[in-house]
Amino acid sequence: MKPNLRPILLPIIAFVVLIAAWQFIVVAFEIPAFLLPSPSAILKAALRFGWPLLTVHTAATLETILLGFAISVVLSVPLGVMLASNKLASEAFYPLLVFTHAIPVIAIAPIVVVSVGTGLNARLIVVTLISFFPIMVSTATGILNAPKDMLDLGRTVGASKWQRIATIALPHAVPFMFNGFRIGIVGAVIGAVVGEFVSANSGLGYLVVRSTSDFDIPMAIAAVIILAVMSVTLYQLTAVVQTRVSPWAPQSEN
Amino acid sequence: MLMADSKPLSKATNTTAAGKAAQDAVRFDHVTISFQIRSGNEVIAVDGFDLGIQPKQFVALVGPSGCGKSTLLRAVAGLIDPTKGQVRVNAPDSLSGFARVAMVFQAPTLLPWKTVLGNVLYPVRFGTKRSGVDYSQRASELLDMVGLTRFRDAYPAELSGGMQQRVAICRALILDPDILLMDEPFSALDALTREELQFEVRRVHQKTGKTILFVTHSMSEAALLADRVVVMAAHPGRLKDDFLLDLPTDRDTATLDLPEFAGYVRRIRDGIYGQREGK
Repeated sequence: MKPNLRPILLPIIAFVVLIAAWQFIVVAFEIPAFLLPSPSAILKAALRFGWPLLTVHTAATLETILLGFAISVVLSVPLGVMLASNKLASEAFYPLLVFTHAIPVIAIAPIVVVSVGTGLNARLIVVTLISFFPIMVSTATGILNAPKDMLDLGRTVGASKWQRIATIALPHAVPFMFNGFRIGIVGAVIGAVVGEFVSANSGLGYLVVRSTSDFDIPMAIAAVIILAVMSVTLYQLTAVVQTRVSPWAPQSEN
Repeated sequence: MLMADSKPLSKATNTTAAGKAAQDAVRFDHVTISFQIRSGNEVIAVDGFDLGIQPKQFVALVGPSGCGKSTLLRAVAGLIDPTKGQVRVNAPDSLSGFARVAMVFQAPTLLPWKTVLGNVLYPVRFGTKRSGVDYSQRASELLDMVGLTRFRDAYPAELSGGMQQRVAICRALILDPDILLMDEPFSALDALTREELQFEVRRVHQKTGKTILFVTHSMSEAALLADRVVVMAAHPGRLKDDFLLDLPTDRDTATLDLPEFAGYVRRIRDGIYGQREGK
C-alpha cells in the first residue's frame, strides 16, 4: 500500500469492516429491526421511501440550516467585534449573552413555537440560538488576539481606533472566525433538527419523529445518517471556503 | 590611550542655544517616562532625558536593556506620552501629522494577508499624502532599491526574515517621512543578513538624507552606522555619553578594521560599563 493512500484507504477499510460486523451481528443474533436494524435494512428503507421524497426533506432541512447559519453570522460577527473593541459593551452584555447561550435550546424550542408560531421562523430562532455563540466568541477572540506590534504600527501610521480594527484586527480575526463557523454550522444542524422536532411537517428531523412513531426504525436511522453526512460535508465546506478566503493563514487542524 | 579618547569630541552637538534647538528634528526636553507596574509601584524607565537631534543626522541610541532607549523611540512615534517633559518633532517642510515620522519595529510586523506591495502601501491610506505623488510607483521604486521587485506580489510568509525587514523599511519610507525611527530592527536576523541590511540602511540614509534615530544594544552596530552615538545607562534610563563619529560617510566592511572604529566601540563600552580596567 502506497503510504500516501493510507489515510484514505485505512478508514474506508475500517468502515467496511464495521458495517459488515454490524450486519453479521444483527443477522446472527436475530435482533429485531425496531431494536437495531441491519445496514441492509436501513438502505432498503431509504430506497422504499424513495430518493425524490428524501431529497425534498433533505432540502427543507438544509434550507433551515443555511438560513439560520447566515442569520447567526450576520448577528454574531458585528456583535463579536463590538464586544472585543468596547469594554463597556463587553462588560454590560457579555454575561447576558453567556446566559442566553446557557439556555438549553431543546427546552426553549417548544416555547419559541408557541410565541412565534410553527413554521420556518421558529426553526430559524432555534438554529440561531445554538450557532451564534461560538461565532461571536471566536470573532471577539480573534480581535482581542491581534498582535500588539501590528496595532502599534497602525497607530504610528495614524490609523484611528476603528481603522485599526477594520484594517488589522478584523483581517487578523478571519481564521478565528472560521473556527467559530465550523462549530456554528454543526450547531446549526442540531438546531435545525430540534426545530423540526417541535415545528415542521417536512425535513429530516420531522422524518425521524414520524418514522419512530411508526416504529419504522430503519427509516429513522436512514434520516439520521443523511443528517450526519450533511453535517460533515458542511463542516468540510467551511474549511474549503477558509482556504479560499484566507490563504495566508495556517490551516487549523480539523 | 585610544584615539577616540584623546580626540576632542564635540560637545556642541548637544547645544543649548535656543536658536539651534528650534532647528532640531527631534528634541527631548527633560523627558521622564514612568510606568505603573502591577504591584502598584512606579518604575522609572527614563529619567530627565535631554537631547536634540539635528535634521539628517543618523543617531544611534545604545545601551543595555532596561535603559529606556526603546521607550524614548516610542515616545517620538507617539505610542506613549512622557510622564514629565516634552518630546518635540519638527519637520522642515509643511507636512503635518503622521507622515513626518515612520517607525521600523524589531519584528517586520507585516500584515500577513497583504502582499509585499500591499504592505508597503499600507500607510498611504492614513498618512498625509503629498499631492502629485504616484504612491504605487513610489512603492515599486522603493522595492527596487532594496532588490525586492520580483517579490512585490508575494505574501510575507513566502519571504525570509531579512526580506521581510526590507519590506518593513520600504513601508516606513513610502510616505517620505522626515524622521525614521528604527527599534533594534536587525536584532532578530542572522549575522550575515544583519550586516547586509546595516549597510543598506546606511545607503538609504546617504540617498534620502532622512533623520534616523536607531535604537540598538549592539555597540559595533551603533559605531558602524551612526554619525552620532548616544549612550544610555539603565535603572533609571538616563544619558551617559553623547559624541560624534569621525568616520568615512560611506561605510563598508573595511570600516570595521579602522582603528577609530575600535576606539568608538571602546568608548561606547566604557559608557555602558563605566571605566573598568581590562574591559
